[in-house]
Amino acid sequence: MATLVAENLTFAYAKKSKPVLNKVSVEIKPGTLTALVGPNGAGKSTLLRILQGQNTPDKGEIKIDGENLYRSRALVALMPQRSSMNWKFPITVEKLVSLGQIKYSKSRSNNPFQIKTLLAYPNSWINKCCELEATMQRVGIASLANRRLDSLSGGQQQRALLAKTLMSPAKIFLLDEPCAALDPPAKEDFLKIVRQLADAGLSLLVSSHDWGDSLNNYDQVIVLDKSVLAVGSPDQIQDKLEAINISSINENNFCD
Amino acid sequence: MSFINNNWWLVPLIITIFSGILCPAMGTVLITHKRLLQVNLISHCVLPGLALALALGIHPSIGGVISGLLGSVIAESLTNRKSENYEAVMNTILAGMLGFGVLIIPLLGIRIDLEAVLFGDLLTANFGDLLRTIIAFLVFILLMTFGYEKVVYVGLDPEGASASGINVSLLNLALSFTTALVIVSSMSAVGVILVIALLSTPTLLGLNKAHSLRIAMMRSSFFGLCISLLGFILSLVFNLSPGPAISVICVASLLIPKLRK
Repeated sequence: MATLVAENLTFAYAKKSKPVLNKVSVEIKPGTLTALVGPNGAGKSTLLRILQGQNTPDKGEIKIDGENLYRSRALVALMPQRSSMNWKFPITVEKLVSLGQIKYSKSRSNNPFQIKTLLAYPNSWINKCCELEATMQRVGIASLANRRLDSLSGGQQQRALLAKTLMSPAKIFLLDEPCAALDPPAKEDFLKIVRQLADAGLSLLVSSHDWGDSLNNYDQVIVLDKSVLAVGSPDQIQDKLEAINISSINENNFCD
Repeated sequence: MSFINNNWWLVPLIITIFSGILCPAMGTVLITHKRLLQVNLISHCVLPGLALALALGIHPSIGGVISGLLGSVIAESLTNRKSENYEAVMNTILAGMLGFGVLIIPLLGIRIDLEAVLFGDLLTANFGDLLRTIIAFLVFILLMTFGYEKVVYVGLDPEGASASGINVSLLNLALSFTTALVIVSSMSAVGVILVIALLSTPTLLGLNKAHSLRIAMMRSSFFGLCISLLGFILSLVFNLSPGPAISVICVASLLIPKLRK
């Protein structure tokens, strides 16, 4: 269980360019499922990369349970966008999922598959193998373990990618548009799995273009367009957006 | 030693075997990482380094590897694969470096058998060429032994690999260095231009339905070995130039999947 608090994050890709994010503050509580919605170019992916520590904000700070992000970066895992993956790579689902065990650490001693670690703690290897199997079962891809990645459907590929992300030792999971390019049934399936994971105690922040009924699956919704426009439960969000009269403007920019 | 001297074909044959295994294995890594254009770039960037090294009295292979690597680094610093100008920039540097090489050869007053460099001269290969091939082979084995997982992760998901703490830029530099070594080592077998055929064609056959990069590399190496040996034998029997013969067989081997169907 871990709480992520980001305060007043400001970020620009170049010194003289306009900030992509302006004074963004978010809080991800343990065991919650949070949606991060916003139009194209709103800065959703940038925010996720900053929260994972891949980009450093120009201003603001990020803390996990009161400790600086860069000291506990391993507690945050990012599932990248579909488009950043090379789906044609020759790899099985099981191997892909096992890659998630490579931790953020310069030290090799953390890897349970190192010979030294194996000899010292033989159980660690067995535990990791069980964890692999359990994680694949958790997202419903255990039967696909030996299939090649490019032989799966879009929905199955996303679940495999989620399983890989879940294999990390992180407590907070950031999913970058996991439902993009999925058909409605696959999307519904995926959101069900994500909901179950949150109910089991994991903290998840899911970015999305979706501005539909599926937002009701979330505990908290953050509306972002360079800065945070609204935060609250799905019901509260609708009221807030109407109050500040931007709902109709942004809705036209959203694409599903 | 006298056995080798009496059997002039032995060193070329061993080089054929090593190159036939090494080039397709390297090619499998590069194709799965979508870096084939970079191979083309490095192979064309080798020439100025060869010429400068000869003029400075250094071993030409060292100059070739350095200039190949330099070309790759320049290209990567000017563009990236996400840029829409990527192919145009890569091809400009490729042509520019080749042109620079051709320009400085007469200026430096050195003599280079350009045909042998570009298209190979396997039948006259010597121990130095064999040693170069073995060094490239060992470097590739080292990279795969200590960096296989990272190579897989970066090829599959560069962003995820970077988030996991893998130094993606360093790995790409190591890949460029090994590629430059493999290209220079294949100079005697197929030449720096025709090596592209040996890097890519067996990979197309080996990648088909492979469940892991390792299996794909082994299959590609098998096909590469068969193609190289066939090219070598045909060039001996019909008195052909081995490099071009191997390249033509590579093209013909593309028909194998069609024949299977």
